[in-house]
Amino acid sequence: MENLLMIAFSAFIIENIILTQFLGICPFLGVSRKRSSALGMGMAVIFVMLISSTVTWLLFKYVLEVFEIQYMRTIVFILVIASLVQMVETFLKKVSLPLYKALGIYLPLITTNCAVLGVAILNITKEHNFVEMLVYTIFIGLGFLFVMYIFSMIREKLDFSPVPKAFKGVPIALIVAAILAVIFSRFGGII
Amino acid sequence: MEIIIPALVLAGVGFILGLLINFVSKVFYVEEDPTIDEVVDLLPRYNCGACGYPGCKEMAIALLAKESKVLQCKPIKKEAAETLDEFLKEYFQKSK
Repeated sequence: MENLLMIAFSAFIIENIILTQFLGICPFLGVSRKRSSALGMGMAVIFVMLISSTVTWLLFKYVLEVFEIQYMRTIVFILVIASLVQMVETFLKKVSLPLYKALGIYLPLITTNCAVLGVAILNITKEHNFVEMLVYTIFIGLGFLFVMYIFSMIREKLDFSPVPKAFKGVPIALIVAAILAVIFSRFGGII
Repeated sequence: MEIIIPALVLAGVGFILGLLINFVSKVFYVEEDPTIDEVVDLLPRYNCGACGYPGCKEMAIALLAKESKVLQCKPIKKEAAETLDEFLKEYFQKSK
Protein backbone atom coordinates (compact mmCIF):
# COMPACT_ATOMS: atom_id res chain seq x y z
CA MET A 1 0.00 0.00 0.00
CA GLU A 2 2.82 2.37 0.91
CA ASN A 3 4.52 1.46 -2.31
CA LEU A 4 1.36 2.27 -4.30
CA LEU A 5 0.99 5.63 -2.54
CA MET A 6 4.56 6.46 -3.38
CA ILE A 7 4.05 5.52 -7.03
CA ALA A 8 0.87 7.59 -7.18
CA PHE A 9 2.43 10.67 -5.59
CA SER A 10 5.61 10.58 -7.64
CA ALA A 11 3.65 10.02 -10.87
CA PHE A 12 1.32 12.91 -10.07
CA ILE A 13 3.79 15.59 -8.96
CA ILE A 14 7.44 14.59 -8.89
CA GLU A 15 7.62 12.81 -12.23
CA ASN A 16 4.96 14.99 -13.80
CA ILE A 17 4.74 13.89 -17.41
CA ILE A 18 4.68 17.40 -18.87
CA LEU A 19 6.77 19.55 -16.59
CA THR A 20 9.43 17.10 -15.46
CA GLN A 21 9.65 14.51 -18.21
CA PHE A 22 8.71 16.95 -20.99
CA LEU A 23 6.45 14.51 -22.83
CA GLY A 24 3.19 15.60 -24.43
CA ILE A 25 4.22 19.21 -24.95
CA CYS A 26 2.20 19.49 -28.18
CA PRO A 27 -1.29 19.37 -26.61
CA PHE A 28 0.09 21.28 -23.60
CA LEU A 29 0.62 24.33 -25.80
CA GLY A 30 -1.98 23.56 -28.46
CA VAL A 31 -5.18 22.87 -26.51
CA SER A 32 -4.60 25.02 -23.42
CA ARG A 33 -6.28 28.17 -24.69
CA LYS A 34 -9.62 27.41 -23.10
CA ARG A 35 -10.32 25.69 -19.81
CA SER A 36 -13.09 23.51 -21.27
CA SER A 37 -10.97 22.12 -24.11
CA ALA A 38 -8.02 21.56 -21.76
CA LEU A 39 -10.29 19.52 -19.49
CA GLY A 40 -11.68 17.57 -22.45
CA MET A 41 -8.21 16.86 -23.81
CA GLY A 42 -6.99 15.78 -20.38
CA MET A 43 -9.91 13.39 -20.01
CA ALA A 44 -9.37 11.97 -23.51
CA VAL A 45 -5.66 11.46 -22.79
CA ILE A 46 -6.36 9.74 -19.44
CA PHE A 47 -8.86 7.47 -21.16
CA VAL A 48 -6.53 6.57 -24.04
CA MET A 49 -3.54 6.18 -21.70
CA LEU A 50 -5.39 3.85 -19.37
CA ILE A 51 -6.67 1.56 -22.10
CA SER A 52 -3.47 1.60 -24.15
CA SER A 53 -1.22 0.97 -21.14
CA THR A 54 -3.37 -1.94 -20.02
CA VAL A 55 -3.41 -3.50 -23.48
CA THR A 56 0.30 -2.92 -24.11
CA TRP A 57 1.27 -4.25 -20.67
CA LEU A 58 -0.75 -7.43 -21.25
CA LEU A 59 0.65 -7.79 -24.77
CA PHE A 60 4.20 -7.35 -23.51
CA LYS A 61 3.81 -9.84 -20.66
CA TYR A 62 1.85 -12.53 -22.45
CA VAL A 63 2.91 -12.24 -26.09
CA LEU A 64 6.22 -10.47 -26.55
CA GLU A 65 7.94 -12.00 -23.51
CA VAL A 66 6.63 -15.47 -24.29
CA PHE A 67 8.08 -15.35 -27.81
CA GLU A 68 11.18 -13.49 -26.53
CA ILE A 69 10.76 -10.64 -28.98
CA GLN A 70 10.84 -7.73 -26.51
CA TYR A 71 12.61 -5.58 -29.11
CA MET A 72 9.30 -5.40 -31.02
CA ARG A 73 7.67 -3.36 -28.26
CA THR A 74 7.90 0.07 -29.91
CA ILE A 75 6.22 -0.92 -33.16
CA VAL A 76 3.56 -3.08 -31.46
CA PHE A 77 2.79 -0.31 -28.94
CA ILE A 78 2.45 2.29 -31.69
CA LEU A 79 0.07 0.00 -33.55
CA VAL A 80 -2.07 -0.48 -30.43
CA ILE A 81 -2.15 3.23 -29.56
CA ALA A 82 -3.02 4.32 -33.10
CA SER A 83 -5.92 1.86 -33.32
CA LEU A 84 -7.22 2.81 -29.88
CA VAL A 85 -7.23 6.51 -30.72
CA GLN A 86 -9.18 5.72 -33.87
CA MET A 87 -11.75 3.86 -31.77
CA VAL A 88 -11.96 6.66 -29.20
CA GLU A 89 -12.56 9.11 -32.03
CA THR A 90 -15.49 7.14 -33.45
CA PHE A 91 -16.82 6.66 -29.94
CA LEU A 92 -16.61 10.37 -29.03
CA LYS A 93 -18.25 11.40 -32.28
CA LYS A 94 -21.28 9.33 -31.38
CA VAL A 95 -21.40 10.09 -27.66
CA SER A 96 -20.35 13.74 -27.42
CA LEU A 97 -20.23 15.76 -30.61
CA PRO A 98 -19.34 19.08 -28.89
CA LEU A 99 -16.25 17.54 -27.27
CA TYR A 100 -15.35 15.92 -30.61
CA LYS A 101 -15.52 19.32 -32.29
CA ALA A 102 -13.66 21.10 -29.47
CA LEU A 103 -10.77 18.64 -29.64
CA GLY A 104 -10.78 18.77 -33.44
CA ILE A 105 -7.41 17.98 -34.96
CA TYR A 106 -5.83 17.31 -31.54
CA LEU A 107 -7.78 14.12 -31.08
CA PRO A 108 -6.10 12.25 -33.97
CA LEU A 109 -2.87 13.81 -32.73
CA ILE A 110 -3.11 11.77 -29.50
CA THR A 111 -1.86 8.98 -31.79
CA THR A 112 1.49 10.72 -31.98
CA ASN A 113 1.32 12.04 -28.41
CA CYS A 114 4.61 10.89 -26.94
CA ALA A 115 3.10 10.93 -23.44
CA VAL A 116 0.88 7.95 -24.26
CA LEU A 117 3.71 5.88 -25.76
CA GLY A 118 6.01 7.18 -23.01
CA VAL A 119 3.78 5.85 -20.22
CA ALA A 120 3.39 2.50 -21.97
CA ILE A 121 7.16 2.12 -22.21
CA LEU A 122 7.87 3.51 -18.72
CA ASN A 123 5.53 0.90 -17.26
CA ILE A 124 7.69 -1.79 -18.88
CA THR A 125 11.10 -0.33 -18.00
CA LYS A 126 10.05 0.32 -14.39
CA GLU A 127 8.91 -3.33 -14.20
CA HIS A 128 5.54 -2.52 -12.66
CA ASN A 129 3.11 -5.29 -11.85
CA PHE A 130 -0.51 -5.00 -12.99
CA VAL A 131 -1.85 -2.96 -10.05
CA GLU A 132 1.19 -0.69 -9.98
CA MET A 133 0.80 -0.16 -13.71
CA LEU A 134 -2.84 0.91 -13.27
CA VAL A 135 -2.03 3.31 -10.42
CA TYR A 136 0.98 4.78 -12.22
CA THR A 137 -0.97 5.32 -15.45
CA ILE A 138 -3.99 6.90 -13.77
CA PHE A 139 -1.87 9.31 -11.76
CA ILE A 140 0.36 10.23 -14.70
CA GLY A 141 -2.87 11.00 -16.58
CA LEU A 142 -4.23 13.01 -13.65
CA GLY A 143 -0.94 14.92 -13.48
CA PHE A 144 -1.31 15.70 -17.18
CA LEU A 145 -4.88 16.91 -16.63
CA PHE A 146 -3.85 18.96 -13.57
CA VAL A 147 -1.01 20.77 -15.35
CA MET A 148 -3.11 21.32 -18.47
CA TYR A 149 -5.85 22.84 -16.32
CA ILE A 150 -3.68 25.26 -14.34
CA PHE A 151 -1.86 26.26 -17.52
CA SER A 152 -5.14 26.96 -19.33
CA MET A 153 -6.33 29.10 -16.39
CA ILE A 154 -3.09 31.11 -16.52
CA ARG A 155 -3.44 31.53 -20.28
CA GLU A 156 -7.04 32.74 -19.95
CA LYS A 157 -5.81 35.39 -17.53
CA LEU A 158 -2.87 36.25 -19.78
CA ASP A 159 -5.28 37.32 -22.53
CA PHE A 160 -6.34 40.25 -20.34
CA SER A 161 -2.91 41.10 -18.97
CA PRO A 162 -0.72 43.97 -20.21
CA VAL A 163 1.85 41.81 -22.01
CA PRO A 164 4.54 43.58 -24.09
CA LYS A 165 3.65 43.39 -27.77
CA ALA A 166 6.63 41.20 -28.69
CA PHE A 167 5.59 38.57 -26.12
CA LYS A 168 1.85 38.35 -26.95
CA GLY A 169 0.43 34.88 -27.53
CA VAL A 170 2.72 31.86 -27.65
CA PRO A 171 6.00 33.49 -26.46
CA ILE A 172 4.58 34.49 -23.08
CA ALA A 173 2.93 31.06 -22.81
CA LEU A 174 6.33 29.42 -23.31
CA ILE A 175 7.84 31.62 -20.60
CA VAL A 176 5.02 30.68 -18.22
CA ALA A 177 5.57 27.00 -19.05
CA ALA A 178 9.27 27.39 -18.26
CA ILE A 179 8.51 28.99 -14.88
CA LEU A 180 6.05 26.18 -14.09
CA ALA A 181 8.70 23.60 -15.02
CA VAL A 182 11.19 25.31 -12.68
CA ILE A 183 8.64 25.10 -9.86
CA PHE A 184 7.95 21.43 -10.52
CA SER A 185 11.65 20.56 -10.73
CA ARG A 186 11.96 21.61 -7.06
CA PHE A 187 9.68 18.72 -6.04
CA GLY A 188 12.50 16.40 -7.08
CA GLY A 189 14.00 15.77 -3.65
CA ILE A 190 10.85 14.94 -1.68
CA ILE A 191 11.05 11.15 -1.90
CA MET B 1 13.80 -17.89 -40.03
CA GLU B 2 13.99 -15.67 -36.98
CA ILE B 3 11.92 -13.06 -38.71
CA ILE B 4 8.82 -15.27 -39.01
CA ILE B 5 7.63 -15.15 -35.38
CA PRO B 6 7.87 -11.33 -34.99
CA ALA B 7 6.20 -10.88 -38.37
CA LEU B 8 3.38 -13.24 -37.41
CA VAL B 9 2.90 -11.55 -34.03
CA LEU B 10 2.74 -8.10 -35.63
CA ALA B 11 0.34 -9.34 -38.31
CA GLY B 12 -1.84 -11.01 -35.70
CA VAL B 13 -2.01 -7.94 -33.48
CA GLY B 14 -2.75 -5.76 -36.50
CA PHE B 15 -5.48 -8.13 -37.67
CA ILE B 16 -7.24 -8.22 -34.29
CA LEU B 17 -7.06 -4.45 -33.92
CA GLY B 18 -8.38 -4.01 -37.45
CA LEU B 19 -11.36 -6.20 -36.65
CA LEU B 20 -11.98 -4.20 -33.46
CA ILE B 21 -11.86 -0.87 -35.29
CA ASN B 22 -14.30 -2.20 -37.86
CA PHE B 23 -16.61 -3.41 -35.10
CA VAL B 24 -16.47 -0.10 -33.19
CA SER B 25 -17.10 1.96 -36.31
CA LYS B 26 -20.21 -0.15 -37.03
CA VAL B 27 -21.56 0.08 -33.48
CA PHE B 28 -20.95 3.81 -33.09
CA TYR B 29 -21.87 4.78 -36.63
CA VAL B 30 -23.00 8.39 -36.99
CA GLU B 31 -25.17 9.29 -39.93
CA GLU B 32 -23.84 12.17 -41.97
CA ASP B 33 -24.97 14.11 -44.96
CA PRO B 34 -23.88 11.93 -47.92
CA THR B 35 -23.15 15.03 -50.01
CA ILE B 36 -20.15 15.72 -47.74
CA ASP B 37 -18.51 12.54 -49.00
CA GLU B 38 -19.38 13.43 -52.59
CA VAL B 39 -17.66 16.81 -52.22
CA VAL B 40 -14.63 15.19 -50.58
CA ASP B 41 -14.36 12.88 -53.60
CA LEU B 42 -14.22 15.93 -55.88
CA LEU B 43 -11.48 17.58 -53.78
CA PRO B 44 -7.85 16.40 -54.21
CA ARG B 45 -7.97 14.50 -50.85
CA TYR B 46 -4.39 15.48 -50.00
CA ASN B 47 -5.43 16.81 -46.56
CA CYS B 48 -2.69 19.40 -47.05
CA GLY B 49 -4.42 22.13 -45.03
CA ALA B 50 -3.53 24.89 -47.50
CA CYS B 51 -7.19 26.03 -47.48
CA GLY B 52 -7.01 26.82 -43.78
CA TYR B 53 -9.07 23.83 -42.66
CA PRO B 54 -7.55 20.78 -40.95
CA GLY B 55 -8.46 18.44 -43.81
CA CYS B 56 -10.47 17.94 -46.96
CA LYS B 57 -13.51 16.82 -45.00
CA GLU B 58 -13.68 20.03 -42.95
CA MET B 59 -13.20 21.98 -46.17
CA ALA B 60 -16.13 20.09 -47.74
CA ILE B 61 -18.35 20.89 -44.75
CA ALA B 62 -17.37 24.56 -45.01
CA LEU B 63 -18.04 24.54 -48.77
CA LEU B 64 -21.52 23.18 -48.25
CA ALA B 65 -22.15 25.79 -45.56
CA LYS B 66 -20.99 28.49 -48.02
CA GLU B 67 -18.22 29.46 -45.59
CA SER B 68 -15.38 28.90 -48.03
CA LYS B 69 -14.74 29.04 -51.77
CA VAL B 70 -13.36 26.40 -54.11
CA LEU B 71 -10.49 28.81 -54.93
CA GLN B 72 -9.17 28.41 -51.37
CA CYS B 73 -8.06 24.90 -52.31
CA LYS B 74 -4.54 25.33 -53.66
CA PRO B 75 -3.63 21.95 -55.17
CA ILE B 76 -6.93 21.35 -57.03
CA LYS B 77 -6.70 20.96 -60.82
CA LYS B 78 -8.57 23.37 -63.06
CA GLU B 79 -11.00 20.81 -64.50
CA ALA B 80 -11.72 19.33 -61.08
CA ALA B 81 -12.43 22.82 -59.74
CA GLU B 82 -14.93 23.41 -62.56
CA THR B 83 -16.79 20.15 -61.92
CA LEU B 84 -16.85 20.95 -58.21
CA ASP B 85 -18.20 24.43 -58.93
CA GLU B 86 -20.99 22.96 -61.03
CA PHE B 87 -21.76 20.34 -58.42
CA LEU B 88 -22.07 22.99 -55.72
CA LYS B 89 -24.23 25.21 -57.91
CA GLU B 90 -26.62 22.34 -58.56
CA TYR B 91 -26.67 21.47 -54.87
CA PHE B 92 -27.48 25.01 -53.78
CA GLN B 93 -30.21 25.31 -56.44
CA LYS B 94 -31.78 22.07 -55.28
CA SER B 95 -31.69 23.05 -51.63
CA LYS B 96 -33.53 26.27 -52.43
